Amino acid sequence: MVNNLIEISDLYKIYPISEEISVHALQGVSLSIKRGEFVSIMGASGSGKSTFMNILGFLDTPTTGRYVLDGIDGSTLNYDEKAEIRNRKIGFVFQGFNLLSRTSAIENVELPLLYMGGITTREMQDKARKYLGMIGLAGREHHHPSELSGGEQQRVAIARALVNEPAIIFADEPTGNLDTKNTEDIMNLFTSLNQDLGITIILVTHEPEVAEYTKRKVIFRDGHIIEDSPVKKRKKAGMKKR
Amino acid sequence: MNFKNLFITALRALNRNKMRSALTSIGIIIGVSSVIMMIGIGNSARIAVREKIFTYGANAMSVYDSKKPLTLRDVENIDRLLPQVRYISPFVYKSYVLTKGGGQFIYSRLYGVNNDFFKIKSWPLTNGRYFTEREIAASEKVVIIGNSVRTELFGYTNPVGEVLNVDGLPFKIVGLLTEMGQALSGRDFDNVLIVPHTTAAMKIMGKRTFDEIYVSTYSETEIDETVEQLKEYFRRTHVILPGKMNDFKIKTSKEKLQMVKYISNTLSILLAGIASISLFVGGVGIMNIMLVSVSERTREIGIRMAIGAKRRDILTQFLIESVTLSGAGGIVGMLLGLGVYYLIIFFVDWPFIFSFFSIIVAFFFSCAVGIFFGYYPARKAADLKPIEALRYE
Ligand SMILES: Nc1ncnc2c1ncn2[C@@H]1O[C@H](COP(=O)(O)OP(=O)(O)O)[C@@H](O)[C@H]1O
Ligand SMILES: [Mg+2]
Repeated sequence: MVNNLIEISDLYKIYPISEEISVHALQGVSLSIKRGEFVSIMGASGSGKSTFMNILGFLDTPTTGRYVLDGIDGSTLNYDEKAEIRNRKIGFVFQGFNLLSRTSAIENVELPLLYMGGITTREMQDKARKYLGMIGLAGREHHHPSELSGGEQQRVAIARALVNEPAIIFADEPTGNLDTKNTEDIMNLFTSLNQDLGITIILVTHEPEVAEYTKRKVIFRDGHIIEDSPVKKRKKAGMKKR
Repeated sequence: MNFKNLFITALRALNRNKMRSALTSIGIIIGVSSVIMMIGIGNSARIAVREKIFTYGANAMSVYDSKKPLTLRDVENIDRLLPQVRYISPFVYKSYVLTKGGGQFIYSRLYGVNNDFFKIKSWPLTNGRYFTEREIAASEKVVIIGNSVRTELFGYTNPVGEVLNVDGLPFKIVGLLTEMGQALSGRDFDNVLIVPHTTAAMKIMGKRTFDEIYVSTYSETEIDETVEQLKEYFRRTHVILPGKMNDFKIKTSKEKLQMVKYISNTLSILLAGIASISLFVGGVGIMNIMLVSVSERTREIGIRMAIGAKRRDILTQFLIESVTLSGAGGIVGMLLGLGVYYLIIFFVDWPFIFSFFSIIVAFFFSCAVGIFFGYYPARKAADLKPIEALRYE
């Protein structure tokens, strides 16, 4: 068993803009993350956080550098193998929720299972219902995203990220579009997912209060990691039942 | 992702845009329905025309438009010289004769013939009998009438034995022809009076020559040979020098059949043209809408890819959408086409011909159109990069 869930060394991402100009979004990033960690990634806008997360999530490929997830070297994977890993090992939570509109909450949550195969419609519904219940949206299964508040939509997105029982969740500014109250709720939810289910969580934020829920803080600037430290005074969190 | 789920996903997507889906299918619907309709009408017309042509008589031919008169001697000579001739009949006609009977009157066509004429034309009788030898020899005033003459003058009673006033002369009705129906031109085959050729010549026309001579052979294979021999005979008797044109014409039932074949082949080619154009237009419509749909749903595609959709899943999803559009359009078009075809056939009273083959072909083609024209948009969707699709606004 590999101890480090994530192993990154000397990662570069260069976006060519024109023949002369290119953007160096990541400039030699190295990082290891163990199973069960709860990491926040911070940094100014444009410092490369999203680029980094997208590469970690196999949504994007680095220009150079090595990335190993759970013992699998990303550079050896083809397009469909990456899709398979996203489907089985990873859960995504985005700032803009990224739910399918005009599609009910339960159908949104079922979506990853649809692409997994070997699972009956009945099992899919049961699982989706279970996770919707867990994040406190029981009874709202057939609401469409437009009928849910921002906080509720983000919780549907979290249920969708959980339904395939992933080893790791990547969340890019999950509270960026939420008010303080909903931010607290969502962060409490993440905390309990990490504590109670042992899911590794990596979360991008620019809000220091949000970072305080996590156990480890990594700070980016201009495509470099400039600080990597444990969070000292963690916020006390617990999952509130509603 | 299994096929059933992909299918459900595709149906949901189409269902979300019901109006657009319906409008997109209209091209295919119109294409397929017009194809089904026209194949049907083509088949029916072919049958209807063929039936009419057989009323001309099988293996039949006639000599007409002769500059020199056709005479009874010609009839006798041909009958003697050409052993393959089975039936032969003189033919004279008058387009309009005033016919009175049962207190009514109509204008009818009048034919002067012998009994062979009925065999050549395969015109059976419903009531009564053909002419007797005596009646023909003695130019007796007897007449066999068509069904329209009966219904116009005598209603639905049996007219045999009644007296009919033809061109001012009293004729005894001895027979009633079986109903033949209308020609495609609308001409009524049944508005006809048939009298012995001798009677026609002596009592009505005042001439002893014929307008045409009808001939039929024992078998179809003898038609060409007989036509040649007839030409030879008339060139000889009309004293036409080699190299000069005939001063008469010969038409055969075979020529008419070939004409029908030609018309129906032309019709088929035309239909194939219309079919391919309309299906092409329908296909382009589907491609257009699918391209719009792919670009509108770029974000959705990105989301699906992020949570694990493989390229094939996306490709198949969009292909199923386009095939569903075209296939459903095909089915609706088929039903619509059959419905309209049935209506038209019902009103013109042609036979309804259900062509299972054309339905299978139309459905198959509409699905093929969906695959062909849906492939490019689906490929475009599947080739999107997840991160770019997700970032798409
Ligand atoms: N697709 C792209 N093409 C060109 N430049 C990009 C692209 N994506 C990001 N960048 C650039 O890379 C840098 C890092 O962006 P990003 O990772 O989104 O930063 P953050 O998430 O920290 O705000 C920025 O300068 C941004 O403009
Ligand atoms: Mg960002």
